Amino acid sequence: MNADKWIARAHEIGLDELEIYEQHETEREVSWFEGKVDSFVTSRILGTSLRATLGGKIAEISLEQTDDGMMDSVLESLKEQAETVTGTETICLRKPQDTVPVQNSRTFTRPSMDQIRSAMQETEKKILAADPRIFMVSEIEWQDTKTSVQITNSLGLHVEDAGAAQVFVAGCAARQDDQVKNDYCIRVVEDIEKLDIDDFVKELTEGVLGKLGGTSVPTGSYKVILEKKAMTSLFSAMIPMFSGEDIGKGISPLAGKLGQQIFSDKITVVDDPRCLDALNVRNYDDEGCPTRRKVLVDKGVFSCMLHDTKSSMAAGTESTGNGFKHSYTSPVHITPYNCCILPGERTLDELCAEMGEGIVITSFAGLHAGIDHVTADFSLQCAGYYVKNGVKDHSVTLITAAGNFFDMMKNVTETASDLEWSYRTITCPSVAFRSLSISGT
Amino acid sequence: MLTQQELEKYLTLCMDSEGDFAEIYEENEFSETIRTLNGKAEKTERAITSGIGIRLYKDLQSVYGYSNETDEASVLALINDLREAVGTAGDKAVEPVRLTRVEYENNNPIRIDFREVSMDDKMAYLLRAYQAAKDYDSRIVKVRADMLNVHQEVQISTSEGRLIGDTRVRTRIYVDAFSQEDGVLQSGGFYPGGGKGLEFYEDDTTPEEAAREAARVAIVKLHAKDCPSGKMPVVIDNAFGGVIFHESCGHALEATSVAKNQSVFSGKFGTQIANPCVSAVDDGTIPNAWGSQNIDDEGNFQQRRQLIKDGVLTSYMIDRLNSRRMGMEPTGSGRRQSYRFEPTSRMSNTYICPGKDSFESLFEGIEKGLYAKKMGGGSVNPQTGEFNFSVMEGYLIENGKITDPVKGAALIGSGAEILMNIDKVSDNLARGQGMCGSLSGSIPTDVGQPAIRVSSITVGGTAQ
Repeated sequence: MNADKWIARAHEIGLDELEIYEQHETEREVSWFEGKVDSFVTSRILGTSLRATLGGKIAEISLEQTDDGMMDSVLESLKEQAETVTGTETICLRKPQDTVPVQNSRTFTRPSMDQIRSAMQETEKKILAADPRIFMVSEIEWQDTKTSVQITNSLGLHVEDAGAAQVFVAGCAARQDDQVKNDYCIRVVEDIEKLDIDDFVKELTEGVLGKLGGTSVPTGSYKVILEKKAMTSLFSAMIPMFSGEDIGKGISPLAGKLGQQIFSDKITVVDDPRCLDALNVRNYDDEGCPTRRKVLVDKGVFSCMLHDTKSSMAAGTESTGNGFKHSYTSPVHITPYNCCILPGERTLDELCAEMGEGIVITSFAGLHAGIDHVTADFSLQCAGYYVKNGVKDHSVTLITAAGNFFDMMKNVTETASDLEWSYRTITCPSVAFRSLSISGT
Repeated sequence: MLTQQELEKYLTLCMDSEGDFAEIYEENEFSETIRTLNGKAEKTERAITSGIGIRLYKDLQSVYGYSNETDEASVLALINDLREAVGTAGDKAVEPVRLTRVEYENNNPIRIDFREVSMDDKMAYLLRAYQAAKDYDSRIVKVRADMLNVHQEVQISTSEGRLIGDTRVRTRIYVDAFSQEDGVLQSGGFYPGGGKGLEFYEDDTTPEEAAREAARVAIVKLHAKDCPSGKMPVVIDNAFGGVIFHESCGHALEATSVAKNQSVFSGKFGTQIANPCVSAVDDGTIPNAWGSQNIDDEGNFQQRRQLIKDGVLTSYMIDRLNSRRMGMEPTGSGRRQSYRFEPTSRMSNTYICPGKDSFESLFEGIEKGLYAKKMGGGSVNPQTGEFNFSVMEGYLIENGKITDPVKGAALIGSGAEILMNIDKVSDNLARGQGMCGSLSGSIPTDVGQPAIRVSSITVGGTAQ
């Protein structure tokens, strides 16, 4: 679109500022089922989102096409929207800021369909050959995406950012007696020719076989370790509490707690969109604000909240560069990017040995519903395995873990060394806790 | 939307391949969200969504492409990608596709089109909600009230010659009330909606009713105790309580998982899967309901599907592709969030049918149990049947009586087991609204049930 023309027209109809956000995305997905390609999905999307301010009030609209013929109706809509806003908070768009961008050294080699088919065929064969209890390969999927973002505004800002990903996913199901269990495994793949299929299949099949024979446990309080995937999923679900907007409005459980000890001193949380170990880096957020590394929790002390432009202006501070959009169709939302709990020094096995007897939780379910985000209370279905004499004894299923997230995080005994980023933008190592309420039989 | 002539040309080109079926899905959607806090408008967002999704079948294989660029060159490039993926035809003779438009009577007419109502008038509904919540109790300290309005037009054409369209309008109000006492903050929410225009707020649920319900829950939670843990009988009340059936059984009755033998209910057609007191329906034809459509997103008319009759499995929910895999007719259940998703079998308005027991009788004989008055959301693993869901508002049952409010309860179990453990079904059927997430995106669905009693289920809580 002709940005200058739209910006000039926006000023003519009385808008103060205009921002044009353009996202270009291409995607390919291939899935495999029972010996052949099951589905193939290809897409090419160019989408636009416009934000405008009027008297410090902001309005937003997303569009698929942006021909000049619709310019007036779109800009008038933005004006009507901004005039509706009656809240006292104000916002202005971002001026250009100097920053030295970083670049991820990761390069992706886009495979041919023949290469994808061949990898899928081999994977399926090896999963089914791994153990007679595995009766189904429920999914094998390849996905490659490329995304680029360009932000231009009437204050002279023009920034660009880009990202890419290639992932290989497989899932399978196993049966023992009448019990069926399933699991899946995801790998980021830079070059499909270098994918270690044996290792991938081993991780997947060990995961699903390890769940078989699971039983519940008597209701009670147990020593618990949240394995890295479970810890990551719970922490990811809790992360909105760091939103400067919700804290400012008093509806985050972190409201009024800046500078206070909120977690155990074993816990340090860092958000760094420029982290080179992660899948992608972002030099700018989706408002064009340069990103930077922040320590959100420093040895248990709440030291920094996340801000976008609007929440930072309401709080009288600077944006932390965390105003991100899920896509061009979504509004700017305060979101961490490449955020992690820093790892410790010992392995998960060593933490189990230290625990002696207790439960390792490997997965949670229902995270979208089982958490009260005002109080940080949670009650969640989970599964894992029971540890006796410091080693895995048997798998555990159909139990719930319940408590208050802050109480739990004050009870941390140690973090493990097993942090990995893979495809995630939020990640955690395994974490050991003194006790947690478990409900079972 | 593309013209009939353009569609015929594109579909004919699609069929000039090894594909045996082609479908073009077109979508134009206008949506609008108004967000308020304490009676002040904080944000307004609008989105104009417009795109095309093209699908080719070759036996049980599906290739799908989508784009928001609908000029001829872009569409032709997309079709060529798909033809290449499914295999080009060689010397196959291709019959030109000729489309016939299917007309029908709109089952979901609306009266007040939100696009013709000013922002100020829409804000007025939210201000009414704010005031009602504040007036409910002086301990209500914050009120968040948002409104979502959606107007979606779709057109679906197929190589079988069918051309059909639908217009879907829906509105929903989201009220969250925050209560505070002695430094403790709690919240309650209520989010009613319908497949209607703004008349919903006069005819169905007023903003005041939505706000008072949210405020009531927020106040009750101020004095809720920790919920006990362990296996116990549970009475789950009506309306959104139906999320238990949606999660524990509904998803496992979708062809998405059934067709590939990835459901606990695969191969169970015609067998007893629930207690005989349980009958259940998925009905996409309820006029103006939140999950209703005239046609599904594959162009087939929506239907009323009797999923379970007196405990016997009588129907799955089947989309077009999985109907091939299963050798059964599609049931008009192919749904998708938008053109960016390939459709698959999904629920519409799913509920347990009314039974013969009175509400009061559900509590008889329970020495110690849980009354789940309002449910939160949940999820299920269709392959294992394991489900979980949270209780937003719960009470203890002691010696047959409802006593203290409790917080932090979750219910978990396996779908096949719980269907057998429903031992009483009352007669107060009501439905509640939700957004259901699955392979083809997030779609509006109603859940529903009369109050039911589950004789034994695992309750997760913090009290011992």
